[in-house]
Amino acid sequence: MSILEQYGLLLALVLGIAATVLALFGIARAMGPTRREPGKDVPASSGVLSRDPVWGRYHARYYGYALLFLAFDMEMAFMYPWAVVYREVGLVALYDMGVFLAILFLGLLYGWSQGALRRQ
Amino acid sequence: MNFVIVLLALLGSVWLLAVVEGWTTTGRLRPAAPLLSGLAHLGRESIVPRTPDRVFFETAPVLLLIVAVLGAAVLPLAPTLVIADLATGALFINAALAYVLVALIMAGWGPNGAYAMIGGWRFLGQLIAYAMLIVMPITAVAMRAESLVTTVIVGSQDGLWNIVYQPLGFVLFFIAAMALAFRAPFDLPTAPGELGGGVDAEYTGVRLGVLRLARLTLVITLASATTVFYLGGWHGPLLPPWAWSLIKTLAVAVSMLLAGRYLPRIREADLMRWCWTLGIPLALLNIIVVGLLVLVVP
Repeated sequence: MSILEQYGLLLALVLGIAATVLALFGIARAMGPTRREPGKDVPASSGVLSRDPVWGRYHARYYGYALLFLAFDMEMAFMYPWAVVYREVGLVALYDMGVFLAILFLGLLYGWSQGALRRQ
Repeated sequence: MNFVIVLLALLGSVWLLAVVEGWTTTGRLRPAAPLLSGLAHLGRESIVPRTPDRVFFETAPVLLLIVAVLGAAVLPLAPTLVIADLATGALFINAALAYVLVALIMAGWGPNGAYAMIGGWRFLGQLIAYAMLIVMPITAVAMRAESLVTTVIVGSQDGLWNIVYQPLGFVLFFIAAMALAFRAPFDLPTAPGELGGGVDAEYTGVRLGVLRLARLTLVITLASATTVFYLGGWHGPLLPPWAWSLIKTLAVAVSMLLAGRYLPRIREADLMRWCWTLGIPLALLNIIVVGLLVLVVP
């Protein structure tokens, strides 16, 4: 199978699942409507509307981790092609990536020592 | 043809997992229960909360189902039994599963309910904890196989499975896979008994049915990924290849279920601390050990 056919198949899969779910929704609707009653559509919060707006600002207390995560996530983009040619290139590849990983790991240790690895 | 067989196998595994899950929670083995409860979901009212973000609310369950099936589409059941044998299979499954986060944030944001929203944001923190432990062990697997093609990865484990070759990677990947599928000790976004269902809280009727189906499919996809990357995929004596793939996948899925039944739910702060101070150094160590092994052992 050519590469285009494979991606075409995956696209067909996405569309097929969406269509299946739509069909399920259609069946459910055909089995009976949702009756409109007061108070039924209040989100689960003991039957009363929540005091504060829900779509407000949320304190992401893990922002220290999140910044480190960005650095490590970028690193992974380099790791995948490296992993494929690793055995072919040999020891040089291990040195090169070893230095790169060591620098990143030192960054992690530094962040740890500065208290980035805790919920703020 | 492969298309139909793989999807049917996926559905069958989901059904078996649902039966086992019902068995462990109610103590009764009822093979028809998942089908009946699915039908019951169709017949119930599906309420939309007031002032929702309608697009997010409707998209979330469908998106979760789509990414779970897309992940399963690149995982082989047998040497030729795979929907799409992509050249970048191991990368594609990462890309697909990244959307689990998007779907859960949508499910949290969409209904405009406090518990759902907290569940959604919590899962963002959970992603920051587990994500590295998914991608780093897969790197080590690709180093041994010299390829990202999933069928080649299984082929590279002929004779010696990766669970023996890199046990550390297996343990890290298994735990991270449970966190990604938000199984019991890591079920922070749903947290029954604490968040009132979290991201599940506002879904009813057919939408909840789709969400539950998606969640079970996600578990099967991750169990299948564990099988392909670490448990030798289709390798095994006597039985045909596809049977071994299914048996291993179900065994991993059930072991995830059992692990969750005996462990208390972990706090978000603890999960992140352990993943970053213990998990990531161990994952880096795993890469270096596998790197040396790959060069030393021919």
